[in-house]
Amino acid sequence: MTAPLVFEDVPLNLRAATACSLTVPAHHTIAVLGDDASGVDRLGGYVLGLEAPPAGRVLVFDTDIGSLPDPERLAFRRRVGYLPAGDGLLQNLTLRDNIALPLRFGTAASSREIDGRVNVMVVAVRLGSAADRRPATANEEERRRAALARAIAFDPGLLVLEQPFDGVTARAAAELLEVARGGETAEGARRAILITGHELPAVVQRRCDRLYRLTRAGALELETV
Amino acid sequence: MINLLTRLGGWMARWLSLLGALARFSFGGARAAVRLPRAGQDVVVRVTLNQIRFTAVHAIGLVLLLSGILSFLVISQAVRELGQLGASELIGTLMVVAIVRELGPLITALAVVGRSGTAIAAELATNTVMGEVRALQGMGIDPRQYLVLPRFIGAVASIFALLVLFDIVAIGAGFAAAAINGMTGSRYAEIVLRSLSARDVLLTVAKALALGVIVGIVPSYFGLSVRRAATEIPVAVSRATVASIVGVFLCSALFVLLG
Repeated sequence: MTAPLVFEDVPLNLRAATACSLTVPAHHTIAVLGDDASGVDRLGGYVLGLEAPPAGRVLVFDTDIGSLPDPERLAFRRRVGYLPAGDGLLQNLTLRDNIALPLRFGTAASSREIDGRVNVMVVAVRLGSAADRRPATANEEERRRAALARAIAFDPGLLVLEQPFDGVTARAAAELLEVARGGETAEGARRAILITGHELPAVVQRRCDRLYRLTRAGALELETV
Repeated sequence: MINLLTRLGGWMARWLSLLGALARFSFGGARAAVRLPRAGQDVVVRVTLNQIRFTAVHAIGLVLLLSGILSFLVISQAVRELGQLGASELIGTLMVVAIVRELGPLITALAVVGRSGTAIAAELATNTVMGEVRALQGMGIDPRQYLVLPRFIGAVASIFALLVLFDIVAIGAGFAAAAINGMTGSRYAEIVLRSLSARDVLLTVAKALALGVIVGIVPSYFGLSVRRAATEIPVAVSRATVASIVGVFLCSALFVLLG
């Protein structure tokens, strides 16, 4: 079985000439950490085809997403769960409506079916009554829970999480990671996950299969978890 | 001289490039609209109604005021001055051509640009800077479906509705002005109705729709054209307002040329 996500010779730091290769195999949780100058923030954009890498290619489920025409690329992104840095929740919608949004625009399901699915997600991420609040009146942890629920709304095989645990306690981070993994199979987590960010709580690092540090020179260094 | 021509050429090239970008943006939006699933349509309808509430319903007072005062002043002066010259018949032409057909659409569109065009540009620019547009794209949602389409439909419907209101109030205020200045109501109604043709109504409707398209598209385009810095928001709003006003005037001029 091929890996859900492969970076082939992609320069991650635009000021450095070093090209990186990275594979996120199925059932694996891989974290890439680095500071602002390392270019780690670009990884998620490359995976989803939001930005094109300057060289090399990024294969998602064996597809070079950057080569797809616009409508196909939009549809393809629904196979990948995405939690952007800063959560990206729409401020004029409740957390519940935010979770429902990708389902409303990306499926042919009826509103009733979508509402049922959203209720399941709200319970899964333990959002409770906060689901009916708008992002501005919810706390950081509730917003992260909602953003994660939205990312897994399509039950994707691959998840990209950008700085997913900033502003949440280590305990909540561990809990959110378990939800993101989607349960366990004989091979490992049900989903492949790429986590990018500046730092991760120790409890989350221990749950990662591999942890890389992206240097300012653009090199990926494997860290011992 | 060459310097002047170079600058003029550069200015023309920028405007043509903007026109091309707006056309691409509009066609892309139209294609995205066709692909909307059923549940997405429900969301778009909800956001559109909200946009109409803000753009049309909340602007009723402003349009009543502008229309009433403009018509009252113009017809008051016209009844006095034209009456002295024995040319009262021209009041009808003045009302239909100047107010209903030309100033009505122009003032209504400018009022909507000032109230809602700026708000649309600021809102979409904020959505972009806050990372909401990127998040939508990352989830496989075309931002033009969720953000642009409802605002576009809302702007077209609102300008059309406000223009109908503007014209009704203008004719009513003209009636009051004529009565105060000694003209009978039946005489005023006869003059105005005689001057009003089906062609005037069609031209006014077509102009309302065209101006609605401009006010629906231009602020959305500039709002979504910002990158990531909050300092780009006021610049985008300013550009959207200027481009919308220029577009509204050019469109009005084009209708005069075609009409």
